Amino acid sequence: MLGPTGAPGRPPVLSLGRGSGSVRPAILTADRTPPGVKSSRRGARSALSLQEDIRNLWTTATLSQSKLDVPLSNVCELSDMEISSVGSKTGGPRKGGHDSDVGWDESDDKDSFKQEMDEQTSLKLELDRGSSRGSSRLGEEYKTETDKSSSLSSISASKQTPHRAYWMEQQNRLPLPLLELMESEALEVLTKALRSYRSEIGRDHVLTQQLHRYIEGLKRHRNKRTHIPAH
Amino acid sequence: MKLKHGSFLWYLYLDKLYCLLSVRNVRALMEYFHLLDVHRNNTLNDVLFYHFLRHVTDLRRTQIMTIFNMLDWNAVGEIGFDQFYMLVCILLAQENHLEEQFIFRHSRPVFELLDLDGERRIGVNNFNLYSFLFNIKKQELRELYHDFDITGDCRLNYKEFKLFTIFSMDKYQKRQKAGKEDKEKSLFRKKLSQINRSFLGLAVSQTRGGHAQVGAPELDTGLNGRRHGDTRTDSTDEQQQ
Repeated sequence: MLGPTGAPGRPPVLSLGRGSGSVRPAILTADRTPPGVKSSRRGARSALSLQEDIRNLWTTATLSQSKLDVPLSNVCELSDMEISSVGSKTGGPRKGGHDSDVGWDESDDKDSFKQEMDEQTSLKLELDRGSSRGSSRLGEEYKTETDKSSSLSSISASKQTPHRAYWMEQQNRLPLPLLELMESEALEVLTKALRSYRSEIGRDHVLTQQLHRYIEGLKRHRNKRTHIPAH
Repeated sequence: MKLKHGSFLWYLYLDKLYCLLSVRNVRALMEYFHLLDVHRNNTLNDVLFYHFLRHVTDLRRTQIMTIFNMLDWNAVGEIGFDQFYMLVCILLAQENHLEEQFIFRHSRPVFELLDLDGERRIGVNNFNLYSFLFNIKKQELRELYHDFDITGDCRLNYKEFKLFTIFSMDKYQKRQKAGKEDKEKSLFRKKLSQINRSFLGLAVSQTRGGHAQVGAPELDTGLNGRRHGDTRTDSTDEQQQ
């Protein structure tokens, strides 16, 4: 069959992703190792690398302050967003004679925003005062402020990092129930295929024996996994 | 065509807008493909393919072999992951009633698949052969060729096919809209009837005994079994007299 250019070829594959320049599914190279060994090796290798990466991520959940690089402005923005989102969702307690939710939310946001602005201006004022009084005093005040900011940022980072580690784990590994489902289904399909092989090409054919060995390997692998939690 | 409930494919899903699998789904599908790739060629031969489709769908043998011949575009007797992925997308599109959207989004690959001879034109017979994959009925196919065969050669070239996909997508969207509107209307009617009933109940209870009672009039009875309207006082009776 000829392709669009006239040369022998195949129709264009469905592209993955949301754009025209998308990723094709990668085809892995053939591997001659038996399936049980290969899957255990593959699993062990990926498990090791996973553990190393994920361990790092999980340990960075309790980072020291010096390793954090989140600026105070970002923290303030985050807190603003949180406050505004809470305000919009809950609406807060109603004041007497106040009709609209929007007005209440806006005033709530305004108060919080004012507080943040006040804190920032007070920070600035203190810094300015510090510069006039002396560098050491400024340094101390700056240190306390930076300690506060880094503690705030550590809280926000600690909220984010465990989630990141969790999602990385999820990205790199298929869930166990899904693997079990896939293996049991594949086993059923291949057992039926083995009957067809035996009836059509005979028991002694290379392909029939290869399929038979593969099925045995898969069964052993599955049994190992089901027995491990029992022991 | 229906996927077997609880099978691995049954748990996968297409993105409704682009009719593609997510990267995680593709990864899972690749693992599954490699489980079935017994001979380590990154391919499935016709026997494995047949048993796989037989296990996860309700397709007949002839339909399965037709699909295999369609996907085996190099005529090597095996299909690779690319073709397997395309097949899974087609099956999922049918399972989730996204056929029109799928053909619209992927008109070129679908056209190339249906163009068995490579003549860049699809005849009625070829289209009919694969119409079960896209849930196109015979009558619809006849109408398709009648409406969109602009060149009049009883075959569809790519432009005519693309026009057809645009129109069918438009029809699908109108159907969706109409369905939504019907649902909203019925919800609105239900709410209205509920409101009317509650108002009626209030009005009836007020006219009977002057008691502002909430509830359906038929349940408006007291503990003694008499209706509230009957429990008049002596003073009211005298007034009426």
